[in-house]
Amino acid sequence: MTQLPTRRGLLFGTAAVSAGVLLAGCTSNESGDDGQAADNQPAADDQPGKQVTIGFAGPQADHGWLNAINENAKSRAEKYEDVTLEITEGSNDTAAQIGQIETLINKKVDVLVILPADGKALTQSGLKAMRAGIPVINLDRIFNTPQAYRCWIGGDNYGMGLNAGHYIGEQLKDKPNARVIELAGLDNLELTQQRTQGFDDALKNYPNIRKVARQAAEFTVESGQAKMAQLLQAQSQFDALWNHDDDQGVGALRAIEQAGRDDFLMVGGAGALSAFQAIKQDDGVLKATVLYPPTMAASAIDLARALGQAKGIGGLAEYEIPASITLYSAVVDKNNVDQYMSTGFE
Amino acid sequence: MTQPVSPPRGSADKVRPAAEAPAWRGLMARADVRTLSLLGVLAALIVIGGITKPDEFLDTRNLQLVLTQASVIGVVTVGMTFVITSGGIDLSVGAIVALASVWATTVATQEYGFGGILFTSVLVGLGCGLVNGLLIAYGGMVPFIATLAMLASARGLALQITDGRTQIVTVDGVLDLGERDAYVLGVPPLVLVFAVVTIIGWLLLNRTTFGRRTVAVGGNAEAARLAGIDVRRQRLYLYLLSGLCCGIAAFLLIILSGSGQNTNGNLYELDAIAAAIIGGTLLSGGRGTIVGSVLGVLIFTTITNIFALNNLQSDVQQIAKGAIIVAAVLVQRRTASTT
Amino acid sequence: MAPEPPLLSMSGITKSFPGVRALDGVDLDVQAGEVHCLLGQNGAGKSTLIKVLAGAHQPDTGTIHWRGEPVTLRSPIAAMRLGIATIYQELDLVEHLSVAENVHLGHEPTAAGFVVRRRTAKESTAHLLKRLGHPEIDPGRLVGELSAAQQQIVSMARALSHDVRLIVMDEPSAALDPDEVDNLFRIVGDLTADGVAVVYISHRLEEIRRIGDRVTVLKDGRAVAGGLPAKSTPTRDVVALMTGRNVEYVFPERPAAPGQGEQPLLHVRGLARDGEFEPFDLTVRPGEIVGLAGLVGSGRSEILETIYGARKPSAGQVVVAGRPLKPGSVRAAVRAGLGLAPEERKAQALLMLESVTRNVSISSMSRFAKAGWIDRGAELGAARAATRELSLRPDNPSVPIRTLSGGNQQKAVLARWLLRGCRVLLLDEPTRGVDVGARAELYAVVRRLADEGLAVLLVSSEVPEVLGLADRVLVLREGRVVHTAPAQELDEHRVLDLVMEGSPAS
Repeated sequence: MTQLPTRRGLLFGTAAVSAGVLLAGCTSNESGDDGQAADNQPAADDQPGKQVTIGFAGPQADHGWLNAINENAKSRAEKYEDVTLEITEGSNDTAAQIGQIETLINKKVDVLVILPADGKALTQSGLKAMRAGIPVINLDRIFNTPQAYRCWIGGDNYGMGLNAGHYIGEQLKDKPNARVIELAGLDNLELTQQRTQGFDDALKNYPNIRKVARQAAEFTVESGQAKMAQLLQAQSQFDALWNHDDDQGVGALRAIEQAGRDDFLMVGGAGALSAFQAIKQDDGVLKATVLYPPTMAASAIDLARALGQAKGIGGLAEYEIPASITLYSAVVDKNNVDQYMSTGFE
Repeated sequence: MTQPVSPPRGSADKVRPAAEAPAWRGLMARADVRTLSLLGVLAALIVIGGITKPDEFLDTRNLQLVLTQASVIGVVTVGMTFVITSGGIDLSVGAIVALASVWATTVATQEYGFGGILFTSVLVGLGCGLVNGLLIAYGGMVPFIATLAMLASARGLALQITDGRTQIVTVDGVLDLGERDAYVLGVPPLVLVFAVVTIIGWLLLNRTTFGRRTVAVGGNAEAARLAGIDVRRQRLYLYLLSGLCCGIAAFLLIILSGSGQNTNGNLYELDAIAAAIIGGTLLSGGRGTIVGSVLGVLIFTTITNIFALNNLQSDVQQIAKGAIIVAAVLVQRRTASTT
Repeated sequence: MAPEPPLLSMSGITKSFPGVRALDGVDLDVQAGEVHCLLGQNGAGKSTLIKVLAGAHQPDTGTIHWRGEPVTLRSPIAAMRLGIATIYQELDLVEHLSVAENVHLGHEPTAAGFVVRRRTAKESTAHLLKRLGHPEIDPGRLVGELSAAQQQIVSMARALSHDVRLIVMDEPSAALDPDEVDNLFRIVGDLTADGVAVVYISHRLEEIRRIGDRVTVLKDGRAVAGGLPAKSTPTRDVVALMTGRNVEYVFPERPAAPGQGEQPLLHVRGLARDGEFEPFDLTVRPGEIVGLAGLVGSGRSEILETIYGARKPSAGQVVVAGRPLKPGSVRAAVRAGLGLAPEERKAQALLMLESVTRNVSISSMSRFAKAGWIDRGAELGAARAATRELSLRPDNPSVPIRTLSGGNQQKAVLARWLLRGCRVLLLDEPTRGVDVGARAELYAVVRRLADEGLAVLLVSSEVPEVLGLADRVLVLREGRVVHTAPAQELDEHRVLDLVMEGSPAS
């Protein structure tokens, strides 16, 4: 395994960050946003304007992606002199999150950014804030009714599947009787069903490709390893694999390594740093990953600031910011990975 | 006034006339029937697997795969069997595995290499077991509550250490143990560890004073105390043992997944309890079987394997798992009461 | 007798549990409107009998007639439907529910079949409480907040909330003050005047005199006397029936001067436990059997368990062979050579799922173990030797202990201590749950162990047992040693007078 010094060395470096308690996350800000924030123009404009207090309520960061959401929101807010961020402790408990939002409303923040643990269950909180005159930016997990938010911004689960399917389809389009397998995420989440639906719809465009197996893991490394090992045993030959989530992908890659298989191409999902690094390295099966970018939290802060200062978005003709923004699930492969490297989460 | 002749618990213990001569044969036969019925279930599963997926299922690689996947939860279940036999319960096993796996894969730990990871896994497991044991044996807490508290705090601490990030292992010595090159005569090292833990567990439970005391404490703690057994110290040792098993399992999981994550060991407590109960260990204590527990684990792992090979989805898997738990326990009750 | 059949007639009721016959052909007749007292020692079978009556236990054989019709009481609900209510001594109330909820538990007044009509429930509860002489109990209060006496009233209200014809009261006066007892008796009087029958269980003979109509005495699972007139039967006769011999036991011969001249093996100095027993002294020499005689509640078992370290004394000291024991430590006591055969054999001594061997070897495991590793051959051999010495049947220590009779289970407990090499044997009700025929053998075993040099301390509620087996006897009453004498100088009547002093001896 010594032929992988660079990759492991890089991973070692990321693990250094992850030992957060010991090293107090000294590098996380640097890896988070400055680079990409410099690339993108902040929404309204960079000039300091009216002071805006933004309340932010999200779920518990028990997953790399959610942790990246918090980091993105925090570092984006720090960029602006005119933004004060009131961030609550993340919670997966609906009741607790309702209470936290209540507190933020009572504090009379100017704008609220809410990533609900459960979108449907927190609709009332969104409505309450809107009625109190506080505009709500609904992040990713959508409320039941558009009345509960001023603007929704989030990822596109169906689009993720669609783009993964198209990418794989293009790679295999000249191959007769191509076989594809899917390692899905937690099956009792709606987003998993949407991703699978998009994937299946895309593959319909390629009559030479057949999806021969699908197993659901649980977004964890452990389950990714276990399910992938079974899939590899079940399918002695296939051409491509789509894995919904790069976190469980760490386990899936481990299982692939253990089985000694390299006769197919793999596409990931979400956009973890370790996946970007493997794609850049290009010495394994992982050739691409489909984004579900945590930078949406930074954009949400931009939107909130624009709302608070009553401005529109740069680059659009409208005076008002849109009611709904669906992010594009870009495919990151060897050609464009450098551009995205700084947005990768651990 | 108390009833001097309260009937013993356990539905299998029907009223029987005093001094029934060949009763011991019945007991022996029952023990065997229990194990045999489990072997029968496993055999039936193997037949099903062989019929539905002859090439993929009946394959050396698949055997290695099933046994490897069984190793981590299997080691945890051996420890759990001891705790349940003593009339206790350990709900914190999954959380301890998570905490140990995370603590053992921090950058600081990984600098110490193979030994550092192994040592930390085991030590964290033992430490959590010690806290459980002290709270239960000397703090007088109910095992359910004490280990539930440990579950919450260990998971919380694991999350705090990782911030939800996946900690990737870079120590080659550890990673290599999960590769095919490390197999000893075709046996993966993880499976070897599982086998050794099982054998030691069996000997400990069936051939040593430690095992006898465990059974005595679980069968009748008051009688054990009045017979001069240090019940509290025994309880402490039992939770330490469970913690140790979790530490070993965490190390195996690190080898298997090449990483440490705070979501590791998810719901291990339920899987381990279910495997032990299916195996024939009494949830109320006083009777435990390591062989049964290991068979229980193998049955679960084989089911998962067959379902995955046949590309059945997780909803069906979960339904079937529940049905098989019920069926196995019902079959056992029948065989136990009719023999 | 009235020409009509008795309200309740149980005949030939037998009930066996593994290892013991709890009821052995018991007959019981109860007339409408009478107070029928049920008397007997601990373990005589009273609890089993009332559980059969309440539908909680099914009898093995025997018939039950209710108002002349044969009935089967399959469940407590079946018994309740007939009009049989039971007030257990350990009150079966739900502490976290209100008085009214408890009274109507399982038969709540409802609207539309499922909505509980709380007001109706409260009103009817208040009415019942008033009838029971306790209008001050608020039906809305939580039962857990009430005193023991009030809880008992609630339990009674629950019984009366059904259309009840027969109420079984299991030691209802045990937790009550004297004036509460008066109220209880008034209630019993009211009930019987309404034609309700009461089966009344008590240890207090004077209560039976006051309210009882007839008495049935149980002993060793048999009714040794049925339907005696409660008012006119002499107390001594009743007590003699409870404690006396109904079979001529064969007691082993006493040696002339057991342990004479030797230093005492067990020396108890000023041992006491607050609220249980007062300071007392006691010595037992090797070869000597000392008996503790007393009724239930006299502190017999508590004394034994305190000597053994299972309870912590509030004062005093236990000295074994000249060395004081660490107080409150069973392990210290066992190491010093003490062994206890406890009163509740199944709950306190035996591992019911295990073999005889493992039950016998449990206290001496380390002797068969090297570094924790048990030599099972040596263990089995030693267990076999120990059980053979006591003629335990069957002669196969591999059988599960639950298949043994009570007497043989007791022998297994003795074999445990024999194997351990214990020097002081503490026996708490050693013949409890042991068939009458097997007792003589057990007595012989105990005497032989004493002859071999053990010091034996024996507790028994059966006076003839203490007098027949012990060399010296301490008589206990309400936690106090009231008399000490060689057994030969005492007889049953003298001991009965001593243990019952204060109760009217006819």
